Order: sequence, then structure tokens, then C-alpha cells
Amino acid sequence: MNASTESLAEMLQSAAAMQERGRSVLQSMLGLGDVEVGATEKHCVYSEDKIRLYRYSALARSANLKPVLICYAMVNRPYLLDLQPDRSFIRELLLSGLDVYLLDWGYPDGADRFSSFDAYVDGYLRRCIEFVLREHVIDSLTLLGVCQGGTMSLCYAALHPAEISQLITMVTPVDFKTPENLLSKWAQHIDVDLLTRSGNVSGDFLNLVYLSLMPFRLTQQKYVNLLQMQGDRVQLENFMRMEKWIFDSPDQPAAAFREFIKWFFQENRLIRDELTLAGRPVRLKNLTAPVLNIYASKDHLVPPSASIPLGAHIGSKDYQSLEVDAGHIGLYVGGKTRKSVPAAVTAWLQTRR
Amino acid sequence: MSAQGPFSSAHPFSSGFLKAWVDQAGAFQEMFARLVDQSTGAMPPSMPPPHLAPWKSFVDALGMGGFNPEQMFPGTPALGLSREYQETAARLLDLSKQFQQRYAEFAQQNATIMQDAFHVLKKRFDATPSGGKTPADLYDAWIDCAEGTYAQAAHSERFARLLAELCNISSAFKVERGKLTEQIARHLDLPSRAEVDTLHHQVRNLQLAMRAAAASSGASGAAASGSAASSQSAAGPAKASKAARKPPKRTKK
Repeated sequence: MNASTESLAEMLQSAAAMQERGRSVLQSMLGLGDVEVGATEKHCVYSEDKIRLYRYSALARSANLKPVLICYAMVNRPYLLDLQPDRSFIRELLLSGLDVYLLDWGYPDGADRFSSFDAYVDGYLRRCIEFVLREHVIDSLTLLGVCQGGTMSLCYAALHPAEISQLITMVTPVDFKTPENLLSKWAQHIDVDLLTRSGNVSGDFLNLVYLSLMPFRLTQQKYVNLLQMQGDRVQLENFMRMEKWIFDSPDQPAAAFREFIKWFFQENRLIRDELTLAGRPVRLKNLTAPVLNIYASKDHLVPPSASIPLGAHIGSKDYQSLEVDAGHIGLYVGGKTRKSVPAAVTAWLQTRR
Repeated sequence: MSAQGPFSSAHPFSSGFLKAWVDQAGAFQEMFARLVDQSTGAMPPSMPPPHLAPWKSFVDALGMGGFNPEQMFPGTPALGLSREYQETAARLLDLSKQFQQRYAEFAQQNATIMQDAFHVLKKRFDATPSGGKTPADLYDAWIDCAEGTYAQAAHSERFARLLAELCNISSAFKVERGKLTEQIARHLDLPSRAEVDTLHHQVRNLQLAMRAAAASSGASGAAASGSAASSQSAAGPAKASKAARKPPKRTKK
């Protein structure tokens, strides 16, 4: 048998094995049913229109730290932070004795199309913060912003510095115009007034954009890799939870989306000190609370270069950054980081009581 | 077994395999190039609607630039009872044409990316002849090359502009389509988008007025707009009025 025939035989064998694995995976998936997300017990403590403020039930003795309010992004659902018991950023925080609140923006619909960006930052977010402050009879709390929610948190902390005792930003864009930021490059020529003239921007549209950032990996390779799971039920369930989260994307309220794209992506107002919200200038220099800025070295959505400049623009003298060897999502659910990142957050908070 | 890996392009099997891939990418590229030509040259309104086809040869014979009202009488406005619909329909047609042209360009660009990626893959296997061992290795290498080549193109100004044009044309189409939907809704006595928007504005203004009144009377802003519901379960919407307030069990800070 010559070399090429041998190679062909090997390839055919390998292809047959892959087909067999695929059959086994499909068979296992048939019996999966719906996957559950949002593992940890929580209660809605405040609601307004579509938004909900949840408080998580304690899982450990209180660490006697200020309550942490998590402000998640509007473009995805916040249950990524509490996907399943062994992959839960929030659960880890609770286990270290923190009192955790989560602001869920919900699923905006046509009734929200005229809600402006400052209605979210200086309206909903402000009232949630005020609620927590009242509940605990305190003057300030810890605000933890994730991705777009981090940008919103920065705006809030700059507008109301006295209410924020510590600010933690995770994979948060600050400089929206760095060379590595593909999403920003694409956004520059979008006529966002026209895009939002006929209403909210659909979550499907945004998903298409996200998938287009790495189309071969995100639309092909990941499903081919699914075959490697060989029908392992636990792995398949993990995969399906993530799949559910990825495509569970709320529509974006037209006015707020238009302002966010225009003011941040196209005009980079935050870092240029040109942003005004609720009629007041948003100056990062006003932010004097201790800041922990966590970014992911392999982030394809918010590249490190978009997050790193924060330290140079805020007024705080207590600034610390933490680079994590992960991607935008892997930061919360990755093998090592799902424990190490919440541990780093807690340790940072404990030294700033 | 050959001393070189099965995926080296010098290998008799893989040289044929890679050539077939590269050729196929080339064929795709040609196909998209033809699509671009077709979409720029043979689109309406140069094609008369069927009911006007009998007049085509007559008008052609007059030598007035073909059967195209825009060319014959540039800037001619839509006339008559249905002029509004005509204008909307003409804009929709024009936007469809623009979209088709840009999409063909986009598809051609993607075909070029694919072809470039195949060349990078071929070079990679030439450089490390013993690199790939299995089809999975080959596939992973292909994904790496494809993503690398795509990223290079995707970061270019040309790519960003083309993508934005596609998006902007789609948005304009959606706006025009919305106008038609408004007209249909009015004819059927259904609530139109404009009516619903007016109501939303009124509700929003009412909320703002209530919040301002509550603030001036000393009540909390939250009381005027939101609902506290400490015993509400995570699943459903909060019903503050029914929810019994429970004191926080945990140590207050």
C-alpha cells in the first residue's frame, strides 16, 4: 500500500470515528431537555418597569463588608454570573460572606424605545442604589459593573461619587477607540439615527454582529468541538447552558442604544471628558473611590486596550488593575478563573473596609 | 508512510486535496464576481414591468435612452392618486437594488478571504511538513488560518464601510417598510406605530410628572416609580402592594 492510500485510509477511519461520536452526541442531546440557569436563590426586592433588583440569599457568615450591587450590561442576560452551582461568580462572592444585589435590566420592548441612556444610569440605576442605601441605612455601597454595565457604573460613580465606596469594573470599555477594538471600528460608519428610527434594535441583530467578530470559531468550530464531548451529559449540559445564554439577548431600547453607540463608540465622549448625562457633566476625575479594574487578556469584545486606560483618567488615588488570562466570558466560567476572580474581588474589598 | 506528514502540500494525497480546496475557493470568487456584475447591470428599473412590456420596442425605437422613465424624464415626480405609494415603492426598489449590489461585494470579499486563508493554510503545512496528523489537526489549522485572515480583513476600513453600508441600507429599507405598514394599519383601523408611540410618550411624561410631584412633596422617588418587594420570588414580576415587607435578616452595615 503506498503512502497516499495509507493516508486516505487513516483519514477515512478518523472521519468514521468522528461520525460515530457525532451520532453519540446527538443521541445524548435528545434526552437533555431544558437546561436550568440561575442556580442561586434570590429575591426581587425592588422593581420598576422592566427592571428588577434582586438580593441573593446569604450562603455564609457575613464578612461585614458593604453590600455589593452588580450592574450588568443591557445587551445580555445577567445569569451568566450565576450560570450553575459550580460556575457561579455570584455564588463565590456569597460564599465569602458578601451581601450581593443584582440589577437585571429585563427585556425592553416597544414601551422603552424612547428611554434615554441617562434614564437608565441616572434613573433606574440611581433608584436601585438609593433603595439599597435605604435598606442598609448606609451612605455608600460597592458598585460592581460588568462590561457595558461597567461603563454605566463609571458614569454613575462620576455623577454621584459620595454614594460609591468602592468601584469594581470588569471587562469594561473606557477608551472606545483603540486599534484592537473591532466592534468599535465597525460602529464608526453605522448611521445609528437611521438604525433606531424604526424602533428597538433586535437582540438577533446584535448576536449576528458578535458572531461576525470571529465567525469561523463561533459558528463552526465550537459545534465541531461539541463532537469531542462524546455524549458526556454534564459537558453537554454545560454547553447548552452557555448556548442558551449566548442567544438569549434582549432587544435594545432605541434611544438608549443610539446614545450609547454615538456618545461612546463614535465620539468616545467618556474618556474625552465630553459626556453629559441628565444635564450634568460626567467627569471621571470626580471618581475618587478605590477602583479595581479587571480585564481579560484574550477578550475579543472589549480588548484590554479599551479597559486599561481607566487608571489614568480617574481621580482616585487607590487604583488597581487585574489582568486575567481569559476571554470575555471565560473570565466568569473558565476552569481556573471562576474561583480566582471572585476570590481576588473579595480580597481587594477586605483590604478596603 | 511518507516521511512528510499527510498534510504537507508536497505529499501526493494532500497536494491534490489542497489544490481542490483552493480551486473551489477560486470558483466561489468568480461566482461572486459575476453576481456583482449582474447586480450592477441587470437590475430594475431597466427591466419594464410585464404590463408595460408591449411598449418597450416602441419606446426603444424613439431613441430616448431605453424604457426607463428615470432616464427618459429624469426627476419625474410620481403623479396621481397613488403617488405616495409609488414613491415609497420606488424607494424600496432602489434600496433593494443597493442592498443586492453591496451584498454581492460583501460576498465577493468573503470569498477572497476564504481563498487567502487556503493559501495561508497551504504555506503553513509546507513550512511544517510533519505538522498535521489527523483531520482534526487539519480542521483546527484551517480555523486558525481562516480567523487570522478574516481578522486582518475585518479590521480594514473597506470592510467596516461595506458592513456599515449594508446595515444602513437595511435600516432605510425598514423605515420605508414601516411607512407602508402605517398606511395599511390606518386602512384597517388598527392602532398604528405612530399612535402607540404617542401613548408611550404620554405615559412616560405622566411618570416623570408623578416622580417630580413625589419629589417636591418629600416622598422618595422610588416610591413614586418603583415597587419594593422584599419577599418577591425570583421568578415573577414584583407585586409590591401585596408583598409583606420583611426586615433584612442579615447584619446591616
